Amino acid sequence: MSLITIIWCMSASASLTLAGINFMVWYQNRKSWANLLFALSATGTAAWALCELWMMRARTPSEFATVLKWGHVAVWLLIVSLVGFVRLYLNAGRPWLAWTVCGLRTLLLVPNFLVGQNLNYLEITRFEHMRFLGESVVIVEGVTNPWILLGQLNLVILIIFVVDATLTTWRRGDRHHALTVGGSIVFFLSVSSSQSLLVFYRIIRTPYVATVSFMGLVAVMSYELSRDMIHVLELGRKLQESEAGLREVEERMRLAVEGANFGIWIRDLVRNEIWATDKWRALFGFAKAERLELGQVFQRLHPDDREAFRSVLEKAAEGDGSYEAEFRVVLPSGEMRWIGSRGRVEFDGDGKQILARGVSHDITGRKEAEQETQNLRREIAHAGRVSMMGQLASALAHEINQPLGAILRNAEAAELFMQNKSPDLDEIRAILADIRKDDQRAGSVIDRMRGLLKRQNLDKRSVDVAELVGEAAVLVHSDATARHIRLELAVADHLPPVIGDAVHLQQVLLNLIINGMDALNGANGRDRRVSVTAALDGPKTIEIAVNDSGRGVPADQLTHIFDPFFTTKPNGMGMGLPISRTIINAHNGRLWAENRNEGGASFRFTLPIAEKDART
Amino acid sequence: MSATAPIIHVVDDDASFLTAISRLLRANGFSVKTYSSAHEFLTQRDADAPGCVLADLRMPQMNGLDLQSALAQAPTPLPILFLTGHGDIPSSVRAMRGGAEDFLEKRAPKERLLDAVMRALGRDSRERMARERQRELRARFDTLTERELEVLSHVVRGRLNKQIAGDLDIHERTVKLHRTAITTKLKVQSVAELTRLTLEAGIFPEPVRTFPKG
Repeated sequence: MSLITIIWCMSASASLTLAGINFMVWYQNRKSWANLLFALSATGTAAWALCELWMMRARTPSEFATVLKWGHVAVWLLIVSLVGFVRLYLNAGRPWLAWTVCGLRTLLLVPNFLVGQNLNYLEITRFEHMRFLGESVVIVEGVTNPWILLGQLNLVILIIFVVDATLTTWRRGDRHHALTVGGSIVFFLSVSSSQSLLVFYRIIRTPYVATVSFMGLVAVMSYELSRDMIHVLELGRKLQESEAGLREVEERMRLAVEGANFGIWIRDLVRNEIWATDKWRALFGFAKAERLELGQVFQRLHPDDREAFRSVLEKAAEGDGSYEAEFRVVLPSGEMRWIGSRGRVEFDGDGKQILARGVSHDITGRKEAEQETQNLRREIAHAGRVSMMGQLASALAHEINQPLGAILRNAEAAELFMQNKSPDLDEIRAILADIRKDDQRAGSVIDRMRGLLKRQNLDKRSVDVAELVGEAAVLVHSDATARHIRLELAVADHLPPVIGDAVHLQQVLLNLIINGMDALNGANGRDRRVSVTAALDGPKTIEIAVNDSGRGVPADQLTHIFDPFFTTKPNGMGMGLPISRTIINAHNGRLWAENRNEGGASFRFTLPIAEKDART
Repeated sequence: MSATAPIIHVVDDDASFLTAISRLLRANGFSVKTYSSAHEFLTQRDADAPGCVLADLRMPQMNGLDLQSALAQAPTPLPILFLTGHGDIPSSVRAMRGGAEDFLEKRAPKERLLDAVMRALGRDSRERMARERQRELRARFDTLTERELEVLSHVVRGRLNKQIAGDLDIHERTVKLHRTAITTKLKVQSVAELTRLTLEAGIFPEPVRTFPKG
């Protein structure tokens, strides 16, 4: 077989093969238009190669002319698809130039078929053979078809279009594509156009061999597309690798989470679905496959904790979305456990909640330990408080008795001096001055005590009245039982909190309750009762009363019982009520006593309601 | 101030109360000396003078109870009365066990205070008399010779003259002479009185056997 046949046939078949492959790629993925356009270019190239071969082997001038005529169709296909490829692949080039090239090339098909024998020649005048690559091939001469000038213009515009697209790409910074795609296409187009012109105007004597340049175009385009393909494959492989890595990470995460006894949940707020790990389901007492709904989850929460948790979630939604909460969960079996939960709400661009996720874990052990510590602390505080009050009272009694004793002895001495017939007035004056001095000393001790209570020890917070009364009742419960006294509590529902120091208020309550129980000493067993009531007294005040069923306070003592050292008890210090009154006064409240119509005394005090809860 | 007039020693770190109570006591006719600390009292007191001590229980450095035990070891102790601003049970128990005459609050009624002072002074005078008598007795016994004491020890145990003579290996008449000397020196009339005085003076530390052996 001759060399020419081999080269041209191989070029054609290579182009067709590439065309087929790229057509298949496009067929698989209809969006890869570059592959389709390349397939069309390659098809055009193959067709042209066959036309060239045929022309070289033409037997008559008319056969040559006919083949050349159909060869222009191949060229048309090649140019149009090439323009499309450049436009698409480089994403550059002026569209009007592209349309001009394609439109003009298409229009040129009309004179190709209607004027003369083809676009090149009106008529072929000379038909001869020459030696080319060691073989005899046909070359022709003829009358030039004037339309060919438009064809040549068309090629110039095409080159301008590609150069323009290449420059745009270059300026964009994509130098690689500008050089390999743009530069190569310009080069091969220039070569093929020049060669065709030189042959056409008989400046050189060779057959048309544009196929060689066209093959260059095909190779460049194919090379770039293949590179892209390889790149895509590479990406695919990497994706697979990273997916495997992701699964590994997920697995490790799951192990860590289960190891730490964390349960994970995700709530899709858009689809209203809840997904949770098995561990989470076990924590909240749900079966593995059971469908989860928010309402059901809330039902699992301890009734006292539901509202608190709901408000935590609402606050999170108003804030940055994250929250932290501790609550009790009651399982269907009745078992109760403490759960610690942390989570985050995610928002979309409009600030709408779309997803919430979080972890929960069992903190029952920790909570129980905390509770125990708290109980212990409370007991210690109570013991300390009782002895503190005792010590305080004892120290105060001692401090005050010193000046009071001096006053008494001075007064007694003065009385004796006055009985003299000629009393020593200087001595008596000195005594009176000393009495005045000691009185001031006693007064300053009392002021100091007030100051001590006011300044140092009042730690005012919001205090729940029911809790306050309940705790005091717990503390005196065993005492009351031992003394066969019935302790009754009547605290109104939904009382707002008061402002005060819980420790001191409890001290006052304890003191009043113990006083009440002492008042029952000697009373009959029938009705030994101390009751504590708490209720609203106006919009800003709560009144707490401690009532006993004793004999009441003699009317003439009702005001004196709050004086320091006034006591009716054999071992009394006479300090409990004055200290209690000082404490209540420091709370901007009032403490007083009255006798009840049904018998017994009633000690009452008022406390202001915490500011924001005051019902104005 | 006569040598026999009792003095009331008041010890208190509270100057104001010290002045007041000494006024009252003086107005009631007592002689009073005041001290601002236990140490001041222990170094300044006139050991021979009769009287009693009124001490505050709570004082810095040496408190009332410490003063009480220091005073108890002195050759001439004085009765002590405690005063306190506010008394607690443990210290009052300790004070009374230590032999305190009374334990009073500073605001105790005047009558109780004066009664207690009078009681303390009475006790002091009784104890003082007992100590005086014992000293006088001791002086009388000191005039006896070694031999006379030896005979006396046998006499108070109820031994007969003959037995004593046998025991001491002397003549019975010598024993009689010794007995006469003893009764003359000690100015006693009977063996019974002799025995009582010997016991009172505490001459013989070992218990005296008044019945013969066997």
